[in-house]
Amino acid sequence: MYTERLQTFTLWIEKGLNKVFSQKYNPFYYHGALPNFFIWTLFISGLLLFAYYVPTMTKAYPSVKYITEQIPFGNAFRSIHRYAADGMMIFVLLHMLRVWFTDRYREYRIIPWLTGVILLTITFLVGLTGYLLIWDQEAVNLTSMTVNLLGALPLVGAGLAEFFMPGGKMVDFTLTRLLFLHLAIPGLLMFFLWMHYLRITRPVTDAPAPLYLLLLGGLFMICGFFPVELGADPNRAAFSQSISFDLLYMWPQWLAVKGWDAGWVWALTLGVIVALLWLPYLHKKTLRGQFAHVKFENCTGCSLCYHDCPYEAIEMVDRDDDTRFKRLAVVDAGRCSNCGLCVGACAFKAIEIPRRESADVLEEIKVALATTSS
Amino acid sequence: MTSTENKEKIIGLVCERSVELKDQLDEKGCLKDDPNVQIIKVPCSGMIQPIMLETALKNGADGTFACGCRIGDCHYREGNKFLRERLLGTRMPKIKPSTDQRRIQAYWLSVLEYEKLQEMVGDFQEYLKTIDSSDAATGSASQAVEASS
Ligand code: HEM
Ligand code: SF4
Ligand code: SF4
Repeated sequence: MYTERLQTFTLWIEKGLNKVFSQKYNPFYYHGALPNFFIWTLFISGLLLFAYYVPTMTKAYPSVKYITEQIPFGNAFRSIHRYAADGMMIFVLLHMLRVWFTDRYREYRIIPWLTGVILLTITFLVGLTGYLLIWDQEAVNLTSMTVNLLGALPLVGAGLAEFFMPGGKMVDFTLTRLLFLHLAIPGLLMFFLWMHYLRITRPVTDAPAPLYLLLLGGLFMICGFFPVELGADPNRAAFSQSISFDLLYMWPQWLAVKGWDAGWVWALTLGVIVALLWLPYLHKKTLRGQFAHVKFENCTGCSLCYHDCPYEAIEMVDRDDDTRFKRLAVVDAGRCSNCGLCVGACAFKAIEIPRRESADVLEEIKVALATTSS
Repeated sequence: MTSTENKEKIIGLVCERSVELKDQLDEKGCLKDDPNVQIIKVPCSGMIQPIMLETALKNGADGTFACGCRIGDCHYREGNKFLRERLLGTRMPKIKPSTDQRRIQAYWLSVLEYEKLQEMVGDFQEYLKTIDSSDAATGSASQAVEASS
């Protein structure tokens, strides 16, 4: 399968990274934790911006200008917020590619994958609204492009365009609604992140401190060398102005400027989302309904397997049969990955996975030693 | 008497997702490069029970090792981490204190790292020759278990 080659490719990169970072600090081993780092950086830097931002037509630009020029480290915070958003998108994409390439995205991992696609969409929407809030001439131009794209959607398009530009005009509501979305969508992100972790026992959400320091250092360096700028005042400037697009977030608008029809831009956007949602179902099923089995007569109810199962597939239930044990491990077939971690955890030979019985492993060890030592 | 007679017999429990051994094994499942090393595959190193390693030693192996993926890259997220903790004695079920822990090692290697495995198994064999079996001091496993980082 093509996935095998993708996996070898990923492992090859990781082998190189192990040489640079050592196994303990290899950033690829914290692929889920790194997006979390950017979420926190964005939250903290965003708080300061939010404290001074005024979402009205006449005051938005001056308030951003005030942040940029008057507040101590104001522009540093703007720069951090901007580049952390880029970092967020890059590391979320890397995380997605890694779980895909290493074949960790289907069957019992379907919930993390599907919620992941939603998280990706949400990340994109937060960044998009953020760029519009700057409200310099560039942002104003981008806003009208965005509303044009929205208006081209069938059925809902007209309503959406009206929501952002009542009567086809930019008014104070335009900005309050953008700001509302920019703050409310991250709330949704938190909700879906909770769903993302539902089937993952002990998700690795933290990386070691040296990695954080490295990322922060890198972020500060970029901010120092390329501090963000503020464009012209939209209340005064001439309309025509060149726009520099951040393609991580503004590619739909960029495509529109390149002459793409709005319909094609939407077809591409929705096509990518649907393809990503579909991806896990294209792969042949490999588990074929296999899952761990508990031997009731051996289980002591010690719950070691329950604690060690990496996919929340084991539940401890009360038992009242003729044994002296009070609890029993029960496996949820749909969640089980057939990994055997529960076998390694059980000291009572009470749980087995069908593809490899622990008794067979022990037998093979004995046979191997019996034939050679004679 | 074969030429392998004076070499140490080793049992290796290897995760089928770590080091690729497809072309390295003979028909009995021993390493072609070193027929004294018998490989037994398991779906994940997290499935390896300490009792499996103890059984190998009890039945006459001179040494035994477990091999899983790089720590941080377990396909099932936590398997190798847990085995490592069991061998280090910080997670239940632990390895029995009475086992000669000098004769147990663990390696954490990816599909691409057969050469490294070969090298470390070679070192292990050399090391096994130097230790005296009558003196079953239960040396600390920590050094061995950290071997490949
Ligand atoms: C806001 C962005 C995201 C964050 C903060 C995030 C965070 C995480 C974390 C912490 C884990 C647990 C890793 C572990 O402990 O093994 C995880 C797992 C996972 N994520 Fe994400 N994720 C995000 C976006 C995505 C996206 C966009 C996708 C794919 C479309 C995705 C797919 C998955 C999958 C399939 C797993 C399960 C991997 C496994 O079981 O080994 N995630 N994520
Ligand atoms: S570890 Fe074994 S004995 Fe303990 S609860 Fe699980 S199946 Fe039962
Ligand atoms: S095999 Fe055991 S540890 Fe692995 S997912 Fe299934 S129940 Fe959980």
